[in-house]
Amino acid sequence: MSESTVCQAGVEQDAMVQNPDPLVLAFCCNWCAYTAADLAGTSRLQYPPFVRIVRFMCTGMIHPNLIIDALTKGADGVIVCGCHPGDCHYIEGNVRMKSRAEAIELMLEDFGLEPERFRLEWVGASEGVKFAHVMRDMTRQIQDLPPSPYRTD
Amino acid sequence: MPVKVVEDWLNACSGCEISILNIGDPLLDLLPNLEFVHMTALVDHKFYGQLGEKPVTEMEIPEATVGIVSGGVRNEEQKHELEQIRKHVKVLIALGSCATYGGIPAHANMWKNDEVFEKINRHCSSTTPAPDQQDLNVPPWIPTCTAVDEVVNVDIRIPGCPPHPDWIVEALTAVLNGQTSWSLPERSVCDTCPVIREQKSGGGAVKRCFENLEFNPEEGLDKMRCINEQGVLCLGPVTLAGCAGKSGVPRCIQARTPCRGCFGPIRKGARPMVDMMGSLTSVGLDPKTVVDRRAIMNRYIGGHGFLTPLPARPAR
Ligand code: SF4
Ligand code: SF4
Ligand code: SF4
Ligand code: FES
Repeated sequence: MSESTVCQAGVEQDAMVQNPDPLVLAFCCNWCAYTAADLAGTSRLQYPPFVRIVRFMCTGMIHPNLIIDALTKGADGVIVCGCHPGDCHYIEGNVRMKSRAEAIELMLEDFGLEPERFRLEWVGASEGVKFAHVMRDMTRQIQDLPPSPYRTD
Repeated sequence: MPVKVVEDWLNACSGCEISILNIGDPLLDLLPNLEFVHMTALVDHKFYGQLGEKPVTEMEIPEATVGIVSGGVRNEEQKHELEQIRKHVKVLIALGSCATYGGIPAHANMWKNDEVFEKINRHCSSTTPAPDQQDLNVPPWIPTCTAVDEVVNVDIRIPGCPPHPDWIVEALTAVLNGQTSWSLPERSVCDTCPVIREQKSGGGAVKRCFENLEFNPEEGLDKMRCINEQGVLCLGPVTLAGCAGKSGVPRCIQARTPCRGCFGPIRKGARPMVDMMGSLTSVGLDPKTVVDRRAIMNRYIGGHGFLTPLPARPAR
């Protein structure tokens, strides 16, 4: 299946999903994930338009508060993408993010949110295909949930 | 002309009033400038006249420049009282963490009112069942246990459980000098803590506060390792500094026990639980092992929607 058929398949089924118009934030580190997003773009790979990318220098600087804030102010889902373990430009920022992710997963419950609303993925600089795939998958996962209880629109 | 003061307690334990009395010598300098026209804890002044001759709909609160209230708001009676106080004073001071954030009683916000009432007042194994919630002699509860500023406008907040006398003096002096605002500087308990920090711990599970810390009692605090880094939960990183007054070491740390967070969040809008969980992971502790994190990390701040009954997750 070519990239565009995959995307069209997603659109055809839209009537069946719970949240056809989700707001998904992708927090990407500058050195790997954002570069991969760039590559996905220049390679004309398609992924859903519901994803908004926010660039960070490193996932190690993404404080749990930013993620909880995004989710409790109306984002339907947050995905954090960083370098593969061992590849972090700042040595171990992604290791920190990994341990914070555990804390965030626990706290989703305290804010009455489903665990599927948050995800952490490693995407290397050359993995444009993986980036597009992960974004499609995450969007699908969020579309299958009802809109966030914190959404006001 | 001394400034008239109305002081009252709502959903409070009287600790905050004790803190006023604990001001000590500086109180003697302040007193000539203050005239307490109503203070339930100390002055025999009734709301409905000394013999109850006033109509019961009209609570009699004297006019005053300054109002000081301790305790949050739990029921209609306290709400009415607070609203009356607000009407009769120019500057309202919320005294203590109950008044500022809801305090310990606001833990009840983790359950629905009915659940709390049933469990505590009706079916507690160690007490006799209390009157029915519908009983006319029991003031009805308001929907949640709130901080004072969730009901009326508050000008000055003096957090702490109890607040340190130094800050009561400072805030009152500010008001006497004509100011209508005052607040503690935004610093964390850690910022004022002298222990040794290495930004890492031995890892593993987070221990509860009952576990012994390692230290040599002969040596000062500057020779003790940070409590969090010893693996015991200490809320210092997410708690406003000031419990030791204008100088000195945070009180619990002085006693070599962890900070419980009684001064509340460092700044408005902060989420101590989220920050604290982040902070535990950054010293390498396992966040899964914190027992009862929601209650423990929101111990004094259950108002303002910080503690609510958990929304049921959609079944799938
Ligand atoms: S803040 Fe503490 S001392 Fe003051 S009323 Fe509340 S529980 Fe008592
Ligand atoms: S965590 Fe506790 S012991 Fe460590 S520096 Fe902060 S207040 Fe002091
Ligand atoms: S150390 Fe923490 S809990 Fe103890 S008195 Fe100070 S602020 Fe309150
Ligand atoms: S630079 Fe990519 S995760 Fe640190």
